Amino acid sequence: MIARAALAFLAVMLASSAAADDAALFTPCRACHSLDPSAKIMPGPNLAGLIGRKVAGDPAFDYSPVLQQAREKGRVWTLETLKTFLADPEAMFPAMWMSAQGIRDVAARKALARFIANPVSR
Amino acid sequence: MNRRHFLASAAGALAAPALLRNARADEAPFRVKYFPVPEASRSRDVTPCSDGTTMWFNCQGNGKLGRLDPRDGSHRLTDLGPGSAPHGVIVGPDGAAWVTDGGQNAIVRVDNDHKVTVFKLPIKDYTNLNTGVFDKTGIYWFTGQSGYHGRLDPKSGDIAVFKSPGGHGSYGMTVTPQGDVWYASLAGSHIARVDLKTGNARMVEPVTPSQGARRVWSDSKGRIWVSEWNSGNVSMHDPANGSWRAWRLPGQRPRTYSVYVDDKDKVWLTDFGANAIVRFDPATEKFHAFPSDKPNANVRQMDGRPGQAWGGESGTNRLVMIETLQPPA
Repeated sequence: MIARAALAFLAVMLASSAAADDAALFTPCRACHSLDPSAKIMPGPNLAGLIGRKVAGDPAFDYSPVLQQAREKGRVWTLETLKTFLADPEAMFPAMWMSAQGIRDVAARKALARFIANPVSR
Repeated sequence: MNRRHFLASAAGALAAPALLRNARADEAPFRVKYFPVPEASRSRDVTPCSDGTTMWFNCQGNGKLGRLDPRDGSHRLTDLGPGSAPHGVIVGPDGAAWVTDGGQNAIVRVDNDHKVTVFKLPIKDYTNLNTGVFDKTGIYWFTGQSGYHGRLDPKSGDIAVFKSPGGHGSYGMTVTPQGDVWYASLAGSHIARVDLKTGNARMVEPVTPSQGARRVWSDSKGRIWVSEWNSGNVSMHDPANGSWRAWRLPGQRPRTYSVYVDDKDKVWLTDFGANAIVRFDPATEKFHAFPSDKPNANVRQMDGRPGQAWGGESGTNRLVMIETLQPPA
């Protein structure tokens, strides 16, 4: 019984630690983006509800031409396209206004995409 | 490094032809010249080299510092280290280039012989290093967009890092002729003056709410010019009396990314909405736009020499120079 409780506690602690790590990955993004749908104007678009949304889909944000073109083509954010984007943003959308380096580490990239996609992160 | 050495090590490339742009009758004409730097991924911040001729430029996409000889368009790239992603570059009192390297979380010094010295920040947090300036005593001050500013003593190598008030956003930085250091907070929508003794920063709010103060540059009088990303304005704060003024850039949807004030106190701005460099004359309060001849130029910073305003077109991998010509006698 004690062992089972200890295992459960360990699982909760590990999950909590993983969530904290995922949140830390989003820290640099916070300089321009928010996951809070009610956040004030930011330098970049609001990312709440990104997955399933059209590219350049924050109506309050004025996007760069390359992202506007992607929207006109009907491109939509999925978890997979987000991972591709995070690997090298400018390779996916050349000459976009956002200036950010890609994330080389595959696990970190997956974790950040998961964090952005998760409504709990808001 | 002499000219022969520079050319021997450079990857040759001819500059694009210059374009002469007409100015208003009360202004000198301008000449626009583009310099392709195709090996430079995402060329961005620029600054004049201490040799009086060449230009340093950062290659954020491939971790290199470039050096362009505008006389023939030749250029050389220097590797800054593993994981490098350089953002800002300025020249210090020692004549070397000093780079804020977000990828290495380090300040990188590159001398005119291209010797590289890396000063790692003493904290593990990813500061997202952005811009640096030297104060009058030779201390290097820098910003990190994750909400940090700090200082480096080039003599001892000692580095101190401070959390900026208001959190994320610390971005452009400038030093006034009086020696005061100011920075802009993009996410925080304010500018701040740094106490050079304590490192503490005091926030000052521009008149336009949520304006997105991105970069700052002092004029010869110590007035702080601000490029406002969210509002599309250029604004000016006079610390002597606390006053503010703001002007909206021309066009339907200006997005004011950067600001640079030249030796004549003319204000150079980059507008992503118009894909243009825009010159503002504070005396006449008039704008003069220089649209790029290519789409998506994305000039993220400017600097210059007397008579020359320079920028890096991060979207086209070119440098651009706008020369103010002397009016005919």
